[in-house]
Amino acid sequence: MSDWHAWAAVAVFVIVYALIVSERLGRTAVALAGAGAVLLLHATDDQAAFFDERTGVDWNVLFLLFGMMVIVGVLSQTGVFEYLAIWAAKQSRGRPFRVLTMMVVLTAVASALLDNVTTVLLVVPVTLLICERLGLPPAPFLIAEVFASNIGGAATLVGDPPNIIIASRAGLTFNDFLVNVLPIAALLVVALVGLCRMLFSSALGYDAERAAGVMALRERDAIRDPTLLGQGLAVLALVIAGFVLHPVLGYPPSVVALVGAGLLVAVSRTVPADAMKEVEWSTLAFFAGLFVVVGALVETGVIDSIARGLTAGAASNELGAAAIFLGGSAVLSGVVDNIPYVATVAPITEQIVAGLPRGRDSGHVLWWALTLGADLGGNATAVGASANVVVLGLAARAGTPISFWQFTRHGLIVTATTVAIAAVYLYLRYFAFG
Amino acid sequence: MRARELADPDFPRVTLSTPALTAARLLLDSRRHGLLVLDEQGAPHAVLPIGPLLRKAVPEYVLADPRLAAVVDETHADTLGARLAGLTVRDCLPDARHAPPVARPDDTLLAVAALITASSCPLVAVVDRGPGPAGDRLLGVISQRHLLDHLVRAAS
Repeated sequence: MSDWHAWAAVAVFVIVYALIVSERLGRTAVALAGAGAVLLLHATDDQAAFFDERTGVDWNVLFLLFGMMVIVGVLSQTGVFEYLAIWAAKQSRGRPFRVLTMMVVLTAVASALLDNVTTVLLVVPVTLLICERLGLPPAPFLIAEVFASNIGGAATLVGDPPNIIIASRAGLTFNDFLVNVLPIAALLVVALVGLCRMLFSSALGYDAERAAGVMALRERDAIRDPTLLGQGLAVLALVIAGFVLHPVLGYPPSVVALVGAGLLVAVSRTVPADAMKEVEWSTLAFFAGLFVVVGALVETGVIDSIARGLTAGAASNELGAAAIFLGGSAVLSGVVDNIPYVATVAPITEQIVAGLPRGRDSGHVLWWALTLGADLGGNATAVGASANVVVLGLAARAGTPISFWQFTRHGLIVTATTVAIAAVYLYLRYFAFG
Repeated sequence: MRARELADPDFPRVTLSTPALTAARLLLDSRRHGLLVLDEQGAPHAVLPIGPLLRKAVPEYVLADPRLAAVVDETHADTLGARLAGLTVRDCLPDARHAPPVARPDDTLLAVAALITASSCPLVAVVDRGPGPAGDRLLGVISQRHLLDHLVRAAS
């Protein structure tokens, strides 16, 4: 590849990124157009773009996302999330802060297993119902749930799309995430509950009469098809077991998710076309286009040049590098969508890690710093993550709009606090006691 | 027969600022499927059928997640009509509002039938066009039902 091709790849990448950030055109169209452009300009070729995960479409990521979308699509029809949310609210006896705490925990746990947007789409309507019964403004609950979703999503390999990209690039397993990220994610959820107490308690007044309205809700009626629920939960349990048993079985997450999706469609006798309705084809196409655009940077040596310049610094000061990865990722992910951010930074990180001296954690700390920074940074602003945008849209439609600054002034506090806690965690676990 | 002869001058009509509950009662009392909505100048602005009014009575969280309808107890479900209180006709009109088709007084019944069929709107406003928008005069409304009724009677 010549210098001309490298510059062409950089130019396309910058234009694509600028258009994604500006949100003037659909991000899928932009990514696909960018992929077409780098192919037409010969900055990459079909072999590199379609048949090499290092320089093109990472099919493991796409099929893992596809499989999980099908499983979640069927599960979301069972009413289990509505059941759990109302059950949790009733366990709280309609006490607003307890309800908020339960919803935060439920959202975080659900987000660890499902993608964040699906989680908030399921949790927000039931939250609006509960808030109406309690006579409380939904904004504190909805904002807290967005934070919980982004924090919970960091906990597992399948919790947030950036984690899937990172895992694929770094060769990290589901268990690696459970061992390294789940503990800090759990701690951050506890911290979030404390922050919510500080930020929102004044808006959460208790009214015994209204609380009785919550107790009158009939959560059992949310489940219309108990057989489908049983089948869905059984397949989800098998899929999670498949992820966890990767060291024994050897199947990559994408294969486990695909088999799980097929099994669920088969046993539930769901019409395949109905199961496919929940698949976000435009998101999958966005990923594919983005992989080709970023892959062109790898193919033309641009990523290698950037990484080479950074590797020496990272090798001499891994702690500083981890801090920069964590803080820088948090700041940038607060401003731009964390999916294109991670898709771009992951190959750079791969090169830097490959250049580090062997020993200690073999550079995994940089991957964890990137994961935590990208996922937690999404909480900083109202546009930091897809879940934030979706919730603000739902709130506006329900007649209880949440303004950009109403969200962001809380988001900045939560992001600063959670990133600071994550920094201490990384330091203690991988440097002080590593 | 011409449109002016079939136009019902007493067809129920509301304005954009009419309370939604008043409009709902008018719909029920008149046993119509829709009301003609006039703008501030008294010109035909939209048709308000029963559907959008009913939609406003359904909470947004149920529209977003229909499974939640099952968990709401009977006592609360029966009070949905109260959601229309405080709303106006303007609040209830769908975003994709279509102005009702307008017939001229001299249009034939075939022309009126063609208008109704092409627009998929259950009403046609019959307007006598004067010089400039201020000169327009609403003579009445021909409903789908009224037109069909007349055509069937004429055939028999």
